[in-house]
Amino acid sequence: MSMRIAIENLHFTYPSGVVALRNVTLAIEAGEQLAIIGQNGSGKTTLIKQLNGLLRPSQGTVRIGDWLTTEHSVAKMAARVGYVFQNPDDQLFKGTVRDEVRFGPGNLGFPAEKIELLVQQALTLLELTDKADVNPYDLTATWRKRVAMAAVLAMDTPIVIFDEPTTGQDYQSVQRLAQIFQTLHEQGKTVIAISHDIDFVAENFSRIVVMGQGQVLLDGPAQTVFAQAEVLNSTDVEPPQLTRLGQRLAIGPVVYTVENFLAALRKENDMQGER
Amino acid sequence: MPDNLSLYIERDSPLQRLNPLTKLAISFSLILIGFLGPGYWLATLLFICVLVPLSIWGKIGPEFLQRTVRLILPLALFLFVMQSLFYPGGRTVLWRFWIFSVKLEGVQFAYLTATRLMNMVGAFLLLLLSTHPSTLMTDLTRRGVSPSLTYILVSTLQIIPQMRNKANTIIDAQRSRGLETQGSVRARIGALLPLVGPLVFGSLVDVEERAIALEARAFKAKRVKTSLIHVPDSVRQRQVRIGLVVLTLVMIGIRLWPL
Ligand SMILES: Nc1ncnc2c1ncn2[C@@H]1O[C@H](COP(=O)(O)OP(=O)(O)OP(=O)(O)O)[C@@H](O)[C@H]1O
Ligand SMILES: [Mg+2]
Repeated sequence: MSMRIAIENLHFTYPSGVVALRNVTLAIEAGEQLAIIGQNGSGKTTLIKQLNGLLRPSQGTVRIGDWLTTEHSVAKMAARVGYVFQNPDDQLFKGTVRDEVRFGPGNLGFPAEKIELLVQQALTLLELTDKADVNPYDLTATWRKRVAMAAVLAMDTPIVIFDEPTTGQDYQSVQRLAQIFQTLHEQGKTVIAISHDIDFVAENFSRIVVMGQGQVLLDGPAQTVFAQAEVLNSTDVEPPQLTRLGQRLAIGPVVYTVENFLAALRKENDMQGER
Repeated sequence: MPDNLSLYIERDSPLQRLNPLTKLAISFSLILIGFLGPGYWLATLLFICVLVPLSIWGKIGPEFLQRTVRLILPLALFLFVMQSLFYPGGRTVLWRFWIFSVKLEGVQFAYLTATRLMNMVGAFLLLLLSTHPSTLMTDLTRRGVSPSLTYILVSTLQIIPQMRNKANTIIDAQRSRGLETQGSVRARIGALLPLVGPLVFGSLVDVEERAIALEARAFKAKRVKTSLIHVPDSVRQRQVRIGLVVLTLVMIGIRLWPL
């Protein structure tokens, strides 16, 4: 069964009357790596909360595989969609890291051996093995965030969502996160992340959705999205520094990583050499 | 969301501009008079003839009525059912069915209790809906009430909406991890621990952060502080307050030493 995400003509209004999503239509194939960017209040969090049924459409539909989010409880949806909240302290409550990580797969009713295996894998992936018996609240905020991630990854869901995974993380942790996303990708999982860290997005995601005022403004690979400086500007997103530098140097294609910047620069130099 | 952290509704009206102490005096005297004053209809009259007009004066009439009704209605229904059926010593039977009989005394007692509660809830709501917590805090502090005491008072008023927001986020986070929160009683009880843990711990973290934030703003400094917010007051309002206190004391007096 393919875990394709299909969002159709989605509108959402909060009870307070704030219109947070307007006519969003989006299809995400299984195994995609998608980042959502956009200014504060543009509806990113509201959108991903629709994916596991925490919020339900005011109009339109959200489908995860063959399930409509309106037809299943959030607890049931949790078997398909893992959601790492922005603040780890909203979920940690067990006495040890290991128990905390066990909680999710336990809820999903896996057999005991499978749970232990998943817990072990998640702890290893997040380098938490030597902290497995520590109380999560004895760890620093950065490590608690890792515990929260492990707790969701251990549920082995085909789709994993992260709200602002990089905030407050140092360079090394961000690098580790990139590796984790890569591992998840290799396992065939769909990874969706909200981020304000534009370089992280540029380097790690093959598809970028740009939101503004509750709408999808742009949707595509980094190459095409970062070319649209004006649209990005309208939702307070600045393209990566390398992209802007590349544009100022007029070195041909839109670049966004060190590698493709250097490649474009060499090509440009070669061309000038030939002339 | 910060906008529902307090009940305050921002409107430009004379009630909103009243000195918070005046509103505090109005609320407390209404509550005390409603409970202690004579007469079967007093609490009803206070609500209809004082609280409702005040709320309309404050341009918060609909919100005031809606919230009072929503808070008091379930309680009132419960009171009526319990008291009309089981009020001890009721004799005047109004209506009888199967093994139950509805007695007049019970209905009267329920009515009296319900209207007094409505008057109390209404008086509190009028204060909370028309007064920004920080205005209240500034004014009380300026009058020499200890800042710690006003802080406790004001933060207690704010803590319920804050806790509710936090609890909702935590429930969402746990449901996202497959925790079943609806359904059987067992499921609901099982869902309590994952909620209470983060809620208590989060509150402790909040307390620590708040203490640091307060200290950083010289909360405990002994010197006289000036305030950016000017809270208006007037001689007329002072007279009204003294009048209210006297009236309330008279009511208490009549109650304690009936003529
Ligand atoms: N619980 C809520 N009740 C009412 N309005 C809300 C609620 N949560 C968010 N909103 C509003 O909905 C809009 C979209 O908010 P959302 O949190 O989805 O934005 P976001 O893109 O995630 O922003 P950020 O980058 O700040 O996290 C905003 O106008 C916000 O004020
Ligand atoms: Mg958000």
